[in-house]
Amino acid sequence: MDELALSVRNLSTVYDTGGSVVHAVRDVSFDLRRTERLGVVGESGSGKSALALSILGLIEPPGRVVEGEIVLGGRDISKLSDRQLGAVRGKEIALVLQDPSSALDPVKTIGSQIVEALTVHEPDLRRAAVRRRAAELLREVDISQAERRLDDYPHQYSGGMRQRVAIAIAIANNPRVLIADEPTTALDVTTQAQVLALLDRLVDEHRTAVILITHNLGIVSDFCDSVAVMYAGRFVETSGVDHIFVAPTHPYSEALLKCVPNPERLAEGPLPAISGFPPDLSQLPSGCSFAPRCPVGRDLPQCHEQAPVPHRVSGPAGEASVECHFAEQRIREVAV
Amino acid sequence: MGRVIAMRVLGSVGAVFGATVLAFMIMRVLPGNPARLILGPLATSQAVTALNHHIGLDQPLYTQYWRYISDFFQGNWGYSYSDGASVRKLIGERAPATIELALFSFVITMLAAVGLALLSTYRHRPITDRIVRGASYLGFGTPPFFLALLLLIVFFSTLHILPGPEGRLGVQAAAPAAVTRMYTIDALLAGELGTFWEALKHLILPGLALGISSFSFLVRLLRANLLEVSREPFITVARGKGLRRWTAFRRHALPNAFLPTLTAGGLVLGEFLAGSVLIERVFNWPGVGSLVFDAIVKQDYAIVQTFILLSAVMFVLVNLAVDLLYAVIDPRVRIPTVATA
Amino acid sequence: MGPGTLSIGEDVAAARPGGPPGPDRTSLSVRGGQALRAVLADRKLAVPLGVLALMVLFAIFMPIFWSHGPDKQDLINSLGSPSASHPLGTDQLGRDVLARVATGARISLVVATLVTLAGAIVGGLIGLFAGTLGGASDGVVMRVMDAILAFPPLILAMAVTVGLGIGLDTAAIGVSLVSVPWYARLLRSEALRIRSLPFIEAAHAMGATRGRIIARHVVPHMLPVLFIQMAAAFGYAVLALAGLSFVGLGAQVPTPEWGAMITEGLSYSLTGQWWISICPGVALLITVTAASMLSDRMRDLLDPRGQYARL
Repeated sequence: MDELALSVRNLSTVYDTGGSVVHAVRDVSFDLRRTERLGVVGESGSGKSALALSILGLIEPPGRVVEGEIVLGGRDISKLSDRQLGAVRGKEIALVLQDPSSALDPVKTIGSQIVEALTVHEPDLRRAAVRRRAAELLREVDISQAERRLDDYPHQYSGGMRQRVAIAIAIANNPRVLIADEPTTALDVTTQAQVLALLDRLVDEHRTAVILITHNLGIVSDFCDSVAVMYAGRFVETSGVDHIFVAPTHPYSEALLKCVPNPERLAEGPLPAISGFPPDLSQLPSGCSFAPRCPVGRDLPQCHEQAPVPHRVSGPAGEASVECHFAEQRIREVAV
Repeated sequence: MGRVIAMRVLGSVGAVFGATVLAFMIMRVLPGNPARLILGPLATSQAVTALNHHIGLDQPLYTQYWRYISDFFQGNWGYSYSDGASVRKLIGERAPATIELALFSFVITMLAAVGLALLSTYRHRPITDRIVRGASYLGFGTPPFFLALLLLIVFFSTLHILPGPEGRLGVQAAAPAAVTRMYTIDALLAGELGTFWEALKHLILPGLALGISSFSFLVRLLRANLLEVSREPFITVARGKGLRRWTAFRRHALPNAFLPTLTAGGLVLGEFLAGSVLIERVFNWPGVGSLVFDAIVKQDYAIVQTFILLSAVMFVLVNLAVDLLYAVIDPRVRIPTVATA
Repeated sequence: MGPGTLSIGEDVAAARPGGPPGPDRTSLSVRGGQALRAVLADRKLAVPLGVLALMVLFAIFMPIFWSHGPDKQDLINSLGSPSASHPLGTDQLGRDVLARVATGARISLVVATLVTLAGAIVGGLIGLFAGTLGGASDGVVMRVMDAILAFPPLILAMAVTVGLGIGLDTAAIGVSLVSVPWYARLLRSEALRIRSLPFIEAAHAMGATRGRIIARHVVPHMLPVLFIQMAAAFGYAVLALAGLSFVGLGAQVPTPEWGAMITEGLSYSLTGQWWISICPGVALLITVTAASMLSDRMRDLLDPRGQYARL
């Protein structure tokens, strides 16, 4: 039951843009159990997408993964060649991207793009069989008249339908892990809900583990089992999904949660914003990267000088790992 | 789609009309005495008067224009004053040499442009990219006739590895049996490999010189398109399916990058038409370009005027063909969007 | 964004001060003066600008200070290879090639500048008025531009010189005519774009007259793209004029025009006297390359998104 689907250790990715080195992912470690759904939340530019691409080995120059171990189904895939990785990508670990309008090749039919996902891994399949399988996949993502619509081009599909196709492509080979990078952000609210429900049903049926990257805490609370808060390329707080809503321990997590619009608090005035700006990932402060914006540590020398290590804490809604010097102190305050 | 095609064809008819009116104004109305222009400086005044009447200068302008274009489209292109031959016959005789050169040049230009554009974009190699960009600047700045000269000096006078300005074949070689009158193809058809090789060697330098402007333009266009397309999420998606790097690039980046390049077709033809006049004389290539060059020197304007009008019509037609082809190939134009929620 | 959706930092990040200048369309809408300053301050432009400046200095001062005249024949020293007294050698009539290349620089730079200005003024005004007036005049004018564009550029220039009589002056008219629709189309679309910007509406609302809005607001915002186009057209003009002279439609032999000089030296080039044609050719190549590089880099600078392209 608790078999690990994916285990990431000390993953770091940088972009070397001539003059400056951007540290997009910094020493990230986490485990993903089979059928677990991990939500990764953070501001834009916090390294969420770079994390997704790093796991798949799809970081393009000038970026590169500098170190880290990525164990997928018991095998370290981080040292594999591009050719060896090809057999893993799409087969054992798959990807859904944010923008459905650009995730499909505009000059190829929907059918050929699904078929391609199947034949890469099973080149010997008969043409008719592959086509049947592609139509099944379209039906599985609730597209009516699937057989006929295989021959349509992406521009003949609506945004929500395109995202369903992207999901169909991702689940085509029944992968162990699905990484969804903001899969609903570009869709309107109704479509968002439908796509999310579809994803929910499919990963349930296929027993797929999911990493859902989002900046929408509402989606996390609906969809995920666990959550990792990402800030400046690091996981600053990792916990079960309840903990973060009940006892957000890292000051950044707490600030994030305060930004969620809440009808009950509307009377209290405008939503608070997190003061300051996300750090420049090419010039990170030497201490805690959140220190310059942190309501707790803004004026404390310790926070500016010394980078916090992960602290394991236990709160009212379960355990968490928090990268803050004051984690224990803060969880006690919440508990009281 | 039918509507799109109808609009494009109509637009091209309009462009041909506009171009012929412009050519008529520039070459028949503005010169004042077109008969003198056509007959050349040595013509007698009786001949000039006779031709003036023949052209119908006493007629109103629209009648003159009508005759001008109906003559042109019927193939009545007049006679060369210098040797009395019909312009149609002269151009017809010379066309295969020019077409062969242009086709050859087009092929090597495309290969070089595609190759270099790929080289500078497929992998992130800033140095290669810089070299390719530099080459395209230089290519644009190098006048084709000057490149022709440089190539001859290097490969003929200095290295002696390619033939000099002696036309399509060496002096000893005999032309292959005429079928298409393109020597490389005819030689292959006749099974004369020696002649084929000879004809091919003679094509290389003029082919390079003729293609230089198109090359630098195409490299820049392709490079920009490839860079843009290779950053598209659908490339990442294709890689995420498990496609190898090159496969994803070939199946998804290349078609999307090449499609807009089609629109450069007209431009390339324009470069080749003007380029043939600039290049062929340097290589003593017996094509339409050197015919026109010599006609300019001899002020044999019937030939020059026909060439100009022919160029404009071909230019418009190629642009039309490119438009239509684009509409056929690109599904986004071919198939209208149906809003299905 | 619906209810329950959290959006943090998305807008804040965009407004972040001190970050790298984003690819922002509005940077094209800076006033002409600012654009010019931005162009001059950029290091990438130093190379093409420097090369063009050297070429201008060469054209101005070389003929003044050089002891040999461009037309001075010296048959005893004809076809002399480069030496101390003739650094670029002499041609078939013993004329000093350096003096001829320098005089050729004067001709090329002056005529190409005039051609560029003529094309920019005529085409620019046509585009400006077509874009601001709209309606029937717009339609008619743009059809005329389409007729010009129906010719391959150099072929149309050839037609003009054939029709008006061969010479450098008619060649210049021909090349100017070719460039008119480039400016007209470009500035027309710019005028249409700028007209729809909010600040023009604001100016209207404040009671500014149409003429005043065009002069004070529309024209200054067009200058950046106009400069980019002019740099490209200048390079093209130098190239096209040399091409026309080379085939005998522009400057006539023995004028020391670069294209005509290449024609003159053609038959000597393959028998060892390469310098007669190569020297003017190199001058031509340097000038045209510098101009196209200048245009390209100005475009990178003023229009980072590359929405504007000449072709």
